[in-house]
Amino acid sequence: MESAAAFTGLDQEARICAHCGYCQAVCPTYAALGWESAGPRGRMTLAAEALRRDSFPDAAAQRIYECTLCGHCREACATRIDTLAAWLEVRRRLADRGALERLPLGRLRDNLRQSRNVTGDPAENRLMWQADLEQADPGLNGRAGAEIVYFVGCVTGLYGQGHPIAQAAAEIFRAAGLDFTTLGSAEWCCGFPYLGLGLPDEAAAVARHNLAAVHALGARTIVTSCPSCFHMWRDVYPDLLGAAPGLEVLHASELLARLLAEGRFDLAGRPMRVTYHDPCDLGRNSGVYDAPRAVLRAIPGLELVEMADYREDALCCGGGGNLEAVNPALVAEIAARRIAQAAETGATALVTPCQQCKRTLAAAARKARARLKVLDLNEIVRQAMGV
Amino acid sequence: MPDELAHPPLAELLGDRYTESAFERSFYRRDLGVVPPRLAALIGDTLPQAVARPRTADEVAAILRYAAERRLAVTPRAAATTAYWNAVPLAGGLLLDLSGLTGPVEINEARLTATVLPGTRWAEFDRALRRRGFAVLSYPTSAPAATVGGWLCMEGYGIGSLKYGGVQGQLRELEAALANGQLTRVPGASEKPGALRATGFAGSEGTLAIITRAELVIRRAPAAIGHHLLTFPDMAAATGAAAELAAASPTPFYAHFAAESYSRFLRRAGFTPAADSPLLAITYDGDPDEVARGDHNVGRAVAHWRGEALSAALAQREWDERFLALRLKRAGPSVLGAESWLPAARLADYADGVAKLAAQQGLPIATYGTIVAPGWATVMSLYGCDESRPLPYLLALSLTKKLYDVAFRHGGRPYGIGVWNTPYLAQAMSAEELAMRRATKRTFDPANILNPGKVYAPPRLLWPPTFRLGMELLAGARRVSKGWL
Repeated sequence: MESAAAFTGLDQEARICAHCGYCQAVCPTYAALGWESAGPRGRMTLAAEALRRDSFPDAAAQRIYECTLCGHCREACATRIDTLAAWLEVRRRLADRGALERLPLGRLRDNLRQSRNVTGDPAENRLMWQADLEQADPGLNGRAGAEIVYFVGCVTGLYGQGHPIAQAAAEIFRAAGLDFTTLGSAEWCCGFPYLGLGLPDEAAAVARHNLAAVHALGARTIVTSCPSCFHMWRDVYPDLLGAAPGLEVLHASELLARLLAEGRFDLAGRPMRVTYHDPCDLGRNSGVYDAPRAVLRAIPGLELVEMADYREDALCCGGGGNLEAVNPALVAEIAARRIAQAAETGATALVTPCQQCKRTLAAAARKARARLKVLDLNEIVRQAMGV
Repeated sequence: MPDELAHPPLAELLGDRYTESAFERSFYRRDLGVVPPRLAALIGDTLPQAVARPRTADEVAAILRYAAERRLAVTPRAAATTAYWNAVPLAGGLLLDLSGLTGPVEINEARLTATVLPGTRWAEFDRALRRRGFAVLSYPTSAPAATVGGWLCMEGYGIGSLKYGGVQGQLRELEAALANGQLTRVPGASEKPGALRATGFAGSEGTLAIITRAELVIRRAPAAIGHHLLTFPDMAAATGAAAELAAASPTPFYAHFAAESYSRFLRRAGFTPAADSPLLAITYDGDPDEVARGDHNVGRAVAHWRGEALSAALAQREWDERFLALRLKRAGPSVLGAESWLPAARLADYADGVAKLAAQQGLPIATYGTIVAPGWATVMSLYGCDESRPLPYLLALSLTKKLYDVAFRHGGRPYGIGVWNTPYLAQAMSAEELAMRRATKRTFDPANILNPGKVYAPPRLLWPPTFRLGMELLAGARRVSKGWL
């Protein structure tokens, strides 16, 4: 489609919005809640109200933050509004007016401010995932001169469920002979949760820190296993910092596809029917669809079956936009819809290259008692490598 | 939710799918059209007392029984993709949001029909069919949002109608909830005098009954599709070619035209039109032979009407963007307009009349439309304005009437009535048809519970003689003041 989305300011875009409802048809929040207020066109009405009035009801703020920032509404918008930009801007205005204190978002903001991560853990906890590595490697933390920095991310590094992803990624990189390190405890949140809260200035500050930390090591490439970190580094940091980071930014799926194409490692497998979930920040918001599929197709015996909605049309897992802090039940409801689609494929495993999608979808699969194992892409590749 | 509910039985029936929250209700006061709040207040009470979101036909029926007992106005609504307040309450009451009436699409291969629930969006319906090798016959130009139930209550012409006719003609059977709460089956056609027929829902806009299920004729998914994008030296040639192709065999699936004013408007909105001269997009689908014969017809029409075929890539782009006409709003930021049903033979004259009006008023007006039936087209003429400037916006509203005047001069009429086109009822249908429609309404909804204030008569403020006078005065004021307002 020729018509790219645009954002010319919240006031203008709120008037441009035609209220046609194309956005509603694809909105995961609207699908779950069903009220006009819960869909993007309702949110646009609230945005216009937020501009006109000094005060806004808690219900309005709740609706503004009950959005996963999945970007599906932007793709659907008949008037080509960059709705993601609009949602971030209205959140910024609400945050300025104290919305975070009035919603259950104050804790997340405080964690970010105090610990520079989403959980509030001390910085050294970012190293915990390394404890279970088969081979200890002191060079994993802040080794100057490494060619690649693996930017682990908060959820992967600080949630137990995320650790196997980081371990798998590190072991694959090692097996492929890559010269890599991490920022270790010097890594800060990528800034995405700050943006989602409506704190772009603070997002810029952490971006500056992270970039300086990578430059200090002399690395030339950043690899992330988290799609949101990837999207921030590649697409948002240039805007936040006023200049491109001067680094090659890759998502792990892209790196794996490249390594496979170069024959840097071999994969073995067994017959397995797998479906693939496109994370919003990797697919719709960053345009990476083919690399993870290429990696999966390279695993011998693996049959990839698509869900009813995939690639640009993929349903959201519910895990984005800080929604978990505002309405965890809604996350579960959104994830349940995606798991139902995955189960319809007859696959025995659902693979996604995202730790947050893995968390939300695994929880939904358990709740639905779906006979479906949820794996990160790095995990299934490690299994196929036998490392 | 307030401590004391006005309608506790409905809350009990629907649980968290029922609300009397002032916050939630406020979102159901509008459709695509923007009406200044003070003007809206003069027309009616647009704030519903409650919003109910049923998920089953039985729930719809129970709600209607409850409303009938209390003579409570019920405004049915789903995606609300119209702009004439067809689904906006005028008497407060109960807003019935039917978007949740969705479920699996059931295909009957032997009958070549599909049974679908009314909250299903057309794009979703077609997609569900295509996954199984079938397709809908036609769909509205707002298919990504518009629902099956909604379009069945409108006039029902859009993409595919040229080849397959209006959507009501594709109905095999309906299930509907009557105003008294009785669920009834409505056959696609009935010879019984006075009986409710599925085709009778055309243009009823939710005033007769609420559709709870529909069985529609479908087709095997076409094996081939071919798009053409043509440009012509003038609208007479573009619409002449359109009419010729529409009348030829095979019938195109889609024939969309746009005046040069559309391309200029699109450019103002920040997009690149395929050409600056009048455009005609033609699509054939079916078996490869049919598509090839269509291609041949297009070649002949291009030669005959001195047109030029644009690239296949541009033709594909035009097709891909067929649901995006509203991007013109980026040149607004608000838009107003008039959609008319016009004889295809008069399209060029209509476009010329609109161009003269635009010049007279000093205002760009974009004109585009679709040949929806042999000899007939729906045409939209849009102009930009700014809703945040109340006085110029109010003056600009008057131009819609002037656009309809152009359509009337060329044998046209408004397409869809709702509230805002009720002043034109006399032009929209014959006195006999209006009398028949009113009689049907009295038979099936004697207490006037369903969607009151729509379709059959104008509200007091829009009484035709004063409305016409008022609009003329506003248009005159706009013309005089255009330099300094």
